[in-house]
Amino acid sequence: MKHEIQFIINGHARSLTVESQQTLLEVLREDLRLTSVKHGCSTGECGACSVLLDGEVVNSCMVLAVEAANTEILTAEGLATDEGLHPLQKSFIDHHGVQCGYCASGMLISAKALLNRTSRPHEEEIREALVGNLCRCGAYADIIKSIQVASRARR
Amino acid sequence: MISRKPHVIGKPFPLIEAQKKLTGVTCYAGDEKIVPDMLHARILFSERPSARFWLSNVDAARNHKGVAALLTGQDLATRMGQTILDREMLAVEQVYFAGQPLAIIAAETPEIAEEALALIQVTYEDLPAVLDIEQAIAPGSPQVHPDFYDYPGADALHADPAHNIAHSLTFSRGDVEQGFAAADVILERSYTAAHLQHAPMETHGGVAQRQPDGSVTMWMHVQAPFLQRKIIAKALHMDPAKVRIITGCVGGSFGGKVFVSVEGLLAAIALQTKGRPVRLLLTREEEFKGVFTAPAMRAHVKMGATKDGRLTAIQASYDWDVGASVDAALFHLQSVALAGTGPYAIPNADIRTSAIYTNLLPAAPLRGLGVSQVHWAIEQHIDELAEILNLNPITLRQWNLVKGGDMLFPSFIMHANGLQSCGLQVIDAIHWHPDASSHHDDAPEPDAPKKRIGQGMANGWSPIILSEECGSSISIHFDKENLCNIIVDGVDIGQGLYAFVTQLASFELNIPVEWITVEPTDTANFAPDWEATYHNLLWSTGHALLKATAKMKRQILAYVSEVWEEPISNLDIVDGEVISYASRRRYPLLELLEQNAENENNAPVFSVTSVYRPPNTDGSIESLLQSFASTAYAAEVQVDEKTGGVTILQLAAAADVGHALNPESVRAQIKGGMIQSVSFTLLEEMIFENGIPQSHNFRDYPIATTADMPQQLHPIVVEVPQQSGPYGARDLSHHVQVGAAPAIANAIYRAVGVRIRDLPITAQRIYDALQAKRAEEA
Repeated sequence: MKHEIQFIINGHARSLTVESQQTLLEVLREDLRLTSVKHGCSTGECGACSVLLDGEVVNSCMVLAVEAANTEILTAEGLATDEGLHPLQKSFIDHHGVQCGYCASGMLISAKALLNRTSRPHEEEIREALVGNLCRCGAYADIIKSIQVASRARR
Repeated sequence: MISRKPHVIGKPFPLIEAQKKLTGVTCYAGDEKIVPDMLHARILFSERPSARFWLSNVDAARNHKGVAALLTGQDLATRMGQTILDREMLAVEQVYFAGQPLAIIAAETPEIAEEALALIQVTYEDLPAVLDIEQAIAPGSPQVHPDFYDYPGADALHADPAHNIAHSLTFSRGDVEQGFAAADVILERSYTAAHLQHAPMETHGGVAQRQPDGSVTMWMHVQAPFLQRKIIAKALHMDPAKVRIITGCVGGSFGGKVFVSVEGLLAAIALQTKGRPVRLLLTREEEFKGVFTAPAMRAHVKMGATKDGRLTAIQASYDWDVGASVDAALFHLQSVALAGTGPYAIPNADIRTSAIYTNLLPAAPLRGLGVSQVHWAIEQHIDELAEILNLNPITLRQWNLVKGGDMLFPSFIMHANGLQSCGLQVIDAIHWHPDASSHHDDAPEPDAPKKRIGQGMANGWSPIILSEECGSSISIHFDKENLCNIIVDGVDIGQGLYAFVTQLASFELNIPVEWITVEPTDTANFAPDWEATYHNLLWSTGHALLKATAKMKRQILAYVSEVWEEPISNLDIVDGEVISYASRRRYPLLELLEQNAENENNAPVFSVTSVYRPPNTDGSIESLLQSFASTAYAAEVQVDEKTGGVTILQLAAAADVGHALNPESVRAQIKGGMIQSVSFTLLEEMIFENGIPQSHNFRDYPIATTADMPQQLHPIVVEVPQQSGPYGARDLSHHVQVGAAPAIANAIYRAVGVRIRDLPITAQRIYDALQAKRAEEA
């Protein structure tokens, strides 16, 4: 069954037609070509497809597109502004918070949600916030450092 | 006069791709060619490890609405491999492992493809299955490959197919019998290590399309596109030039995307769809069950030593369960044979390593190439020997470590190395205290279970092997539009290859970093069927690039020399300008390119291609050995005696990289290797039940998360220059994990007095060992 839905994606209002069984991940990647949102497991275990949905981190593979109707969604594509990269993106570049990069967008999204809640998180809080984002390269230490430095820079 | 060069070597340098990766611009395999007329492929995998099988209702699937093409083993009976063709692309009459592809289909949508595949009925008639090494080599065991010698390439292997031994390598020196006779103590132990998964975050996949000339183009982000081109072309009986692989950034490989697993099938089905592109993306479950594992190991080590701590002899065997195909695991054996003594100058050594066929998922090399598992055995063995000899384990190691100048065999004298230094620096980093074993007094009764702390360490060495296949090709084009555009044959899998290439070219050509772009690899660019990859990536790419930049510089200077009518020896490039040391003239390169672009007739082509090829070898493993890389690990752990749970309080790793060209990047690689090692050591095990994979996802096969990180990480960079390496550097990523697992095991022993000789060290194994120890003591 087809549904007409609207949502705000990275600050822009969009209307589109989706199928009942389509996941938000599919719609973001295949229809809207927001390919920072990665397919990793389809079962909500790896966090590669993390997006912010009304400010909360969700695995977009576990959300049906119709459930996202009338919400506000942020993907990694929406982090940078006309003024340039988001402080988190800059910090990830400067502190080697990215290796193969497949988990990077999901990491940024989880970090963004954390910094929205807590402006200056402790290392323990960062570790906890990232526990649902797997990085097979094992870049966690540098990812955590990137987030810490970015949070300090924001102050 | 010495020209000033950009200070980029040995200085922090950002990863070139990082910004694209963090803004979602980087194109991974799954992001390629999402176009309206694209078809979607799905694969039918075998559910039995060893059986004859029949497919029925295939025509119903083929004629299902929306299906564009379908192939079974009846349509495509072919074998694939690099050295031995022991893996069928699609099973024909018999399946050799669960997860073996039986059919591939291309349809309008992934859902239609699945519906159609579900129409096919598979009937199995089970055959005896060989499920582990013990069973495989037992007399009278069924043969996994009864027709072994019919496979092209089989004659090149040292095999004993009757006992399922696919290939064996040996390495020996001295006389072990004499060595053991001279020993005061002889210790014999067995060790095992589980099957592992590469588990990259990005599953296998890509897009393939038949071209009007009958060739196939594949957008497939693999670690070794030139090797894959060769294997796929051979299997499909095509000219390699008709298989084009275009790569881009890879979302993790760790060795799992070097050899061909499902990629050949994608090429085959795309040849059937009249030019419509076909996309294949494996699900996570398929990534676990239908691609590769890393081989499981069974080792037996016998070592002799004198009372005063001299190692006199070692006899060791390392057997690997390679599943139903050995082809991808052959390289692994070479590394194991050469690393097999551990980093010790033991005068008498007898090392054997064998690949054993079973009816399990085929094995492929995993980061570390088996050398990590070799050290799992050797470095626990040394600790235990030290205890028996009543010697400090560090002293015993330092006394016996291989030193620069030691002759390991007639054709190889050990070079200057960081073995001693790595070992000493890691123990300093964790504040080593001998006999470190303490406990928290959270339990008042003296015999009650406690949380106990212990420290352990391990040395490591890892051979760097350079066969003729470890060459590298590089092209550089210099023009107004793209400035300095570099095409490499290696693939950036996250290790920072493009940053290295940019850094080196900027330094050698003395031009700004911003002028340089590095193109993703496309096999259409180069003819050779080999490339710079895994352990020789920096080595071979570096040498090829040094040749190419020298050639490019000469080409530019020769042109200006003619324009200025000045001898080329007066000229140089400094900060992006051609200058003359004699006439003091300057010619900015940008101006030069601009003028040439206007004056097309006279425009010189600044374009070079260079190839680096390692020296010829006689094929023996000794002649392939280029050098050894050194590492060391030290760990401080806390073990909960109640549960067997381990917390790593501190982990230190030192790696000798020769010369850290990009120090922060090196530290990032070391830290990543440490976390992955913790994961391999404490968490990971690919489970099979009756030959059928039981690990389907990250719940069944957990990998390290931020919650599993050691509380403190100490990455240490050691720099003992590699004389023949580019700028004295050597490759890092592949050996960075060697020593982690035994250092942790030694620390656990020091904490609670139990030795775990089977990897992974799960809480259950520690708990069981503690129970057994208590029972014994009582």
